[in-house]
Amino acid sequence: MRATYFLPRDLHPAAWWLWALGLAVAASRTTNPWLLLTIIAVAGYVVAARRGAAPWALAFRMYLYLAGCIVCLRVFFRLVFGGAEGTTILLRLPEIPLPAWAAGIRLFGAVSAESLLGGLYDGLRLAAVVVCLGAANALANPKRLLKAMPPALYEMGTAVVVALSVFPQLAESVLRVRRARKLRGGANHRRLRALHAIVIPVLEDALDRSLRLAASMDSRGYGRAALVRPRQRVATGVLMVLGLIGVCVGGYATLDGSTPRLLAGPVLVLGVVVGLLGFHLAGRRVQRTRYRPDRWRPPEVVVVLSGVGVAVTLFATSTVDPTNLNPSLLTLSWPALSWPPLVGVLLGVLPAWLSPPPAPPHAGAGHDAEEVSA
Amino acid sequence: MIELRQVTFWYHGQPEPVLSDVNLSIGEGELVLVAGRTGAGKSTLLGTVNGLVPHFTGGHLDGAVAVAGVLTRSRPPREFAHLVGVVGQDPLAGFVTDTVEEELAYGMEQLGLPPQVMRRRVEETLDLLGIADLRRRALRGLSGGQQQRVAIGSVLTTHPRVLVLDEPTSALDPTAAEDVLATLARLVQDLGTTVLMAEHRMERVVPFADRVVYVAGGGRVVDGSPSAMLRDMPVAPPIVELGRLAGWEPLPLSVRDARRLAAGLRADLGAPPPRPVPTGETLLTSSDVVVRYGATVAVRGVDLDLHAGTVLALMGRNGSGKSSLLWALQGSGPRQGGTVRVGGVDPGQRSSAQARTLVGLVPQTASDLLYLETVADECAAADAESGAATGTCRTLLDRLAPGIDPARHPRDLSEGQRLALVLAVQLAAAPRVVLLDEPTRGLDYTAKHALAGMIRTLTGEGRAVVVATHDVEFVAAVADRVVVMAEGEVVSDGPTAEVLGGSPAFAPQVAKVLGADWLTVEDVRTALAEVAR
Amino acid sequence: MSRARGGSGRVVRLGPRSALVLAFASLAGLMMFVWPLLVRVEPQSMQHGPDAPFVFVAILPVLILIVLAELSEGGMDAKALALLGVLSAVNAALRPLGAGVAGIETVFFLLVLAGRVFGAGFGFVLGCTSLFASALLTAGVGPWLPFQMLSSAWIGMGAGLLPRRVTGKAEIAMLVGYGIVVAYLFGFLMNLWFWPFITGAEVDYHDGHISYVPGAPVLDNLRRFAVFTLLTSTAGWDTGRAITNTAAILVLGPAVLATLRRAARRASHGLLPTFGDAGPASARSARPRRGADAPTCARTGNGMARTVNDRTANARQHEVGQPIRGQRSNYQGDS
Repeated sequence: MRATYFLPRDLHPAAWWLWALGLAVAASRTTNPWLLLTIIAVAGYVVAARRGAAPWALAFRMYLYLAGCIVCLRVFFRLVFGGAEGTTILLRLPEIPLPAWAAGIRLFGAVSAESLLGGLYDGLRLAAVVVCLGAANALANPKRLLKAMPPALYEMGTAVVVALSVFPQLAESVLRVRRARKLRGGANHRRLRALHAIVIPVLEDALDRSLRLAASMDSRGYGRAALVRPRQRVATGVLMVLGLIGVCVGGYATLDGSTPRLLAGPVLVLGVVVGLLGFHLAGRRVQRTRYRPDRWRPPEVVVVLSGVGVAVTLFATSTVDPTNLNPSLLTLSWPALSWPPLVGVLLGVLPAWLSPPPAPPHAGAGHDAEEVSA
Repeated sequence: MIELRQVTFWYHGQPEPVLSDVNLSIGEGELVLVAGRTGAGKSTLLGTVNGLVPHFTGGHLDGAVAVAGVLTRSRPPREFAHLVGVVGQDPLAGFVTDTVEEELAYGMEQLGLPPQVMRRRVEETLDLLGIADLRRRALRGLSGGQQQRVAIGSVLTTHPRVLVLDEPTSALDPTAAEDVLATLARLVQDLGTTVLMAEHRMERVVPFADRVVYVAGGGRVVDGSPSAMLRDMPVAPPIVELGRLAGWEPLPLSVRDARRLAAGLRADLGAPPPRPVPTGETLLTSSDVVVRYGATVAVRGVDLDLHAGTVLALMGRNGSGKSSLLWALQGSGPRQGGTVRVGGVDPGQRSSAQARTLVGLVPQTASDLLYLETVADECAAADAESGAATGTCRTLLDRLAPGIDPARHPRDLSEGQRLALVLAVQLAAAPRVVLLDEPTRGLDYTAKHALAGMIRTLTGEGRAVVVATHDVEFVAAVADRVVVMAEGEVVSDGPTAEVLGGSPAFAPQVAKVLGADWLTVEDVRTALAEVAR
Repeated sequence: MSRARGGSGRVVRLGPRSALVLAFASLAGLMMFVWPLLVRVEPQSMQHGPDAPFVFVAILPVLILIVLAELSEGGMDAKALALLGVLSAVNAALRPLGAGVAGIETVFFLLVLAGRVFGAGFGFVLGCTSLFASALLTAGVGPWLPFQMLSSAWIGMGAGLLPRRVTGKAEIAMLVGYGIVVAYLFGFLMNLWFWPFITGAEVDYHDGHISYVPGAPVLDNLRRFAVFTLLTSTAGWDTGRAITNTAAILVLGPAVLATLRRAARRASHGLLPTFGDAGPASARSARPRRGADAPTCARTGNGMARTVNDRTANARQHEVGQPIRGQRSNYQGDS
């Protein structure tokens, strides 16, 4: 067991997602900039340590940019639309009143430090959540994730698998048709006309392909169904409909504070559970096995536990000391940081050492991967 | 194993049946070759075996088709997945997943086999087909031959009792085709699976076929032993035609057999007919052409002159720079160095509308150029694009392939007709140089014959034609001059007989039998006529 | 009416039960989009306001899972599935061809046309798979994904529910109108659920004029939101999307519709095969299509499979079952 623990392999994608969601939930509990920056650093460090060479791993940078944009946007909004709450006025911009239909709304005006800081903290929180999701996208192999689809979504999963494998071929076909367009003197046409000459052949190509693919799938046994008794089908339908009604009622009650609380949380949860039961039952009809499925092994458990651990500590400490997690903005002060939540957040960095490194890329696979991203 | 009893089949809306009263009984372990023209109903016949016809295609089926005693009418095709494995023409179009290993396992996953069994069978199949080193590769990055081998492997993993192959090599170049056929030959010996196979390279399959089924068109299907069937089938490989011409008995089915019988004929023939190399005016001169894609050099300093009234064949393996050279000559493709002159003008410097009046190019996937809904619309658009008089394109089309219904959708045309349409569209701009990139891919003997006719029409009008192709027999029939490329360079250049006859790789079948001076059956026929006179 | 329904439900069958599930899920889903406008909080239960968005972000994926499971439970054959996969890939492949300002527009244009041709059920599923595949390709999976998926699914479904009888120029005009409406609606919905997150809702020390106020009267919040969305996206993204939709449907619409319809005809969706007797004599007499029957068969009309089946005289020959049910259930007896 110990010998195989650190052998290079791709971790179960769901493990990375659960870890990242744990971090994201933790981030959504606090506005303390130190904690949020620690969470971002933890996510970034684990990604740097454990991502492969695949294209989705390279997307992490985009998420960092996105996070930066969110922070800037949030502060910018405070600057433009009323940032006057608080006493420490930093600068006064000329105020622009808007027409009557937007009564009550003004642009620019006085900007206070409290307001800007509030925007910064909020933005940072959202940015931390986005970075956590980026980490999951970078670490989890989306194709393996598709393989782990629940049986009830077998058809949908297959459709997406088909889309992913056909996509690069179509991208090629677009390039090819574009090039061929020149042979008919295509450059002279207006842009939209040229689009016509590209879209139609590509679409025809794709539709032809879909028919051939369907024939191939049909003759290779796609959609062999287990025997489903009518009673079971009825049960599936009833469970799904009841569950959805529960979600509707529960959701409405959650929003409308005047309805009894019993209708809100419990009914919502019950609806989801019943619906998922129907979902599970619907999966019974699919009778097929998986080739080399991803299994849950100790490293997966460790990764998930570390993510859950982060979320749990932040929930626990928030009841103890809320001021540390959400620094006060009523009086401007340097945000304080206490040890328990910080240690909790640092739990999240464990996968950087306690998970196996990713499998090395295979000859040819890397090349393919680059084209997909292009 | 396979039983067809009084099978008659109509597609929806077709007044005439594609198959009519077909009776066929194929025993366990037999290898049956299905022959016939494109469009005669070969694919339909093969489709009936696992029920794709009519469950998938729709239509009306009379009679009964049974595989291992199970009637196809009683179950959908998916319930035949463990009995019948089907391999189509274009392997890439049939792949569901994107890596070799997963594709091999896909069929077994559908059947719900236990994981250990799947793992074992995948490993066995990888070895059986010699593709173990490709196991994690992306399917798209494989060569055509490798892809087709994976496609065969992916149906073998379910251990079917019948293997149905519908022209498995028609979209491949000759090397890949050889590769696939050699693999199949070995499989048939080793596994003893019943095989039903349509294949236009008949000479490669006939030696080990137990039976030939000929789909004659009009719904008729005839079957018999290979030598009996080949005697009077209209579609036949050159070697059989040569045998028929010489009246050899028994009819030779392989080059080896034929060579043993050929001594007499060789003595009769005398001197080979002279092949005049026409030398018209020079229409295109190019020198030192270089094409690069980043660090990869596709064409490495090629000089090429094209003369009016001649056909030049450009040969060489895939990736040897043929296509890049053609695109560079036309002016639409990239060119990093060298000069191209057509009548003193460089087409690469002109707008694409002007370039196509100098040089016309029909790309490998000709249908990329077609985007309208009817043949008539395409022709009208071509006239407008070229500034030609209305009806020019249609007239050209009628000369190349008469009788195409103007209201038909271009995608519904046969491969050969579509090629003619694209050629007509390009010719509407009246270029004197015409370049054809892989025009023979997917064409059967009849369509190739028609294409050769079209090319002769073009040279007759004083145009220079370049054909990039792998098809040796086709080159032997049409080309005046052959240029062979390798790694972006010209490795041999000369009259067809000189280049083809002397090369073991490029020699046509007739040359293999009668010697380097004889390239086609047609040559022999004229020579015999000469001698008789 | 039944003709229209038969036609639209051809590729992905949308029976009454699926429609019911779809309706409830859409209702619940819509609630999760417009929750900022619906929230009515009692002063003492203030903490429920801030929790709602996170709960909804968690529940929406479950809703989508259930709907998709129900739609495929009714039976989806290989043809529909391959079409779905390939069209999703086309959507993803056409994205780089878009005007370059905003990536998503070209996805909508094909989605609307495909929904129109292949029906509401197919449109719904295509909306989901297109966005999902595209998110996987660009590593863009996140809480926004279910919202994008559901709203584009509605767009595809809506296109399938437009009146069937409209043809020719009127059809294009109708689709253009629909394209413009959905372009703005999509922007509106996507802004709405995210609005409180981006402007900050639950923070009590801030009271910006475009930000969300939990529990405020619907009209008040709506006005705040209108200003927010007008200022941030209506002029740029939404209008850009509307223009691309209009232009694409006007220029490419007729040709793409024709291409898709041709594909539908060739794939003969919903046409079940028919079988005759093994005996040659009865095969001749039961043979349904010759001469006058041929044109009927060439038309891939609604309810045509029924026509053919009815004409195949002997009822005992219909081993494959009745034409209306999905294929899967027909074979259950055999498997």
